[in-house]
Amino acid sequence: MPHIEVDGQQIEVDEDGFLITIDNWNEGVAHYFMKEEGIEELTEEHWKLINYLRDYFFQFGIAPMIRKLCKESGFNLKKVYQLFPSGPAKGACKLAGLPKPTGCV
Amino acid sequence: MKPQDLGKPTEQFCQLNKLQPLPPPYDQPGMEPDFKPLKDSWKEGYCATLDGFVGNELLKRPTTKEAEDEMIKKFLSGMEKLLSADTNRNWIQPLMLSFEYCAKCNTCSEACHIFESSGGMEIYRPIFRSEVLRKMYLKHKQGGGLLTRFMGGNIDINIESIMRLGELVYRCNLCRRCAQTCPLGLDNGLMTKEIRKIFSMEMGIAPLALHEGGTVKQLATGSSTGITKAAFLDMIEFMEDDLEEYTGKKYKVPIDKKGADIMLIHNAGEFMAWPDNPLAFVILFEEAGLNWTMCSDDLIGYDNVNYGVWYDDAQARKIGAAQKAAAKKLGVKRIIQGECGHAHRAAMVSMDRISVDDHIPNESCFPLMLDILKNRKFEIDPSRNNFPVTIHDPCNYVRSMGIVKPQREIIKMIVPAGQFREMTPHGVNNYCCGGGSGFAIMNSFNFEDFRNKIASRKKFEQIIAAFPDTIENPDIIKYVCAPCSNCKGAIRDILEYYQATEKFNVQYDGLIELIINAMTKFDKPFLHFLRDEEDQF
Repeated sequence: MPHIEVDGQQIEVDEDGFLITIDNWNEGVAHYFMKEEGIEELTEEHWKLINYLRDYFFQFGIAPMIRKLCKESGFNLKKVYQLFPSGPAKGACKLAGLPKPTGCV
Repeated sequence: MKPQDLGKPTEQFCQLNKLQPLPPPYDQPGMEPDFKPLKDSWKEGYCATLDGFVGNELLKRPTTKEAEDEMIKKFLSGMEKLLSADTNRNWIQPLMLSFEYCAKCNTCSEACHIFESSGGMEIYRPIFRSEVLRKMYLKHKQGGGLLTRFMGGNIDINIESIMRLGELVYRCNLCRRCAQTCPLGLDNGLMTKEIRKIFSMEMGIAPLALHEGGTVKQLATGSSTGITKAAFLDMIEFMEDDLEEYTGKKYKVPIDKKGADIMLIHNAGEFMAWPDNPLAFVILFEEAGLNWTMCSDDLIGYDNVNYGVWYDDAQARKIGAAQKAAAKKLGVKRIIQGECGHAHRAAMVSMDRISVDDHIPNESCFPLMLDILKNRKFEIDPSRNNFPVTIHDPCNYVRSMGIVKPQREIIKMIVPAGQFREMTPHGVNNYCCGGGSGFAIMNSFNFEDFRNKIASRKKFEQIIAAFPDTIENPDIIKYVCAPCSNCKGAIRDILEYYQATEKFNVQYDGLIELIINAMTKFDKPFLHFLRDEEDQF
């Protein structure tokens, strides 16, 4: 399994760079992935989405429906793509430490 | 490049360099992205020595001689079990027919979209992997003597041939177009699936998306997406609010209604990726006044997928049995499968063979949708779908189950005359979307390249060719109706990969969304690409 190095710590990721376990997440991880995403700085808007995703994941064990994410955050999909250029799944979820989505999605 | 050479130690068994050309405007240079380069870590750790693609994460290159010997031993015992009536009771008959009677006429090759799209790559011939199995079995059973070699057992059973075969079984969509054309009625798609079973059931090797992130997850949480009962109920609540906002009407989604006439079951990926699809079902069924329900039982009432049918009988049986048990528990009269091709076939065809308990009538949504439209209590206006429309035929319920006409009769009722055009070929002679047998969800390493550039190439070509008059005009919407979750995923990916939506306004979605879009009682359009920006999400 590949690893990423965040603040001197080795963290396991899958082949697409998603964390293997959400427990290894910290803010440093989000900052690490931010560079890959081409995001210059994590603003309050980024954190709003990241925190929402994490809260939902801890409650339900999966990422929320994209539409729900948009509605609850007040950002439309276009705005989500502006914040996370790879989109809600490959971008926002990855920064939030969620595992790669599975199933026919 | 012959089956008997598969064990020879070359760096890469074959190289793809002359893919079939795409039609205009994709015949111009720069219109098709290049292959992603192969990483050294993939070459070292996995099997990149077949065709330069890697898709099977658990097919790891052994690092010691002992591990290598162990892998070969397991493969051989798996092969023996596969070809024995005691251990492969459900499938031995069709397997042996195809194993023993192939005349190697190669008629099937001409029918295979992967063979054709690859520019005629030998290893993708439908009979290639079957022939490897034949040779290996003969060699294993009779040793490597002169007579065996003469009879066809001239192959090296070594780590290289086994690893390459483990990737090669994931170069076939199991679409069974080859079986349809075979003059002897033999099924090389079935052969491929059976060889996958050696790797999965005996060696514990399968793509993660199918196994850990697929059947294992479905049995643990209720869905391959990981949707638990609590998450499912949360989604339904959200969908009810969403529907009210769109329609101005309060729809109550019936959940766990005991004794309902119909239990509707979707591919749970729809809730996550295409929620308009289950929403459209709610509108149609409620407007038709059906006595229906969805099921929230987490073992397994709200996800109709069964990835086990692609690679592992044991997983398939457990999932199929749980789905039937959930419906039995609710006491419904019949199950209706939503717009998911592989679930249609898994539940209605495969389960008849491998899980015989708890029989319950299991039907397709398409004839029901047609009945609803024919006896409708609501108005429809086809001019609300006034753009060119083509339809993709999912292999699993079209070729394998013969459900061809209902979709077309529906389209004729909801799309203006002259706007519908068939793909060439279509119906039972259709080509696979390229996502079949798990490919739509296999995204590790550079497997996406194989899917988008080779497996889905024929479908992309067909889509472009269905709109010769309008393809280059981005002001005209072109709609690819893809009534299957898996096909939708593969088609979404090619439209994005070739930038067909961005450049040429080619849109896609299912069939039921088109029906709802044609209903006059709603002011706003239902199709997402027709909505105002503020109504998009």
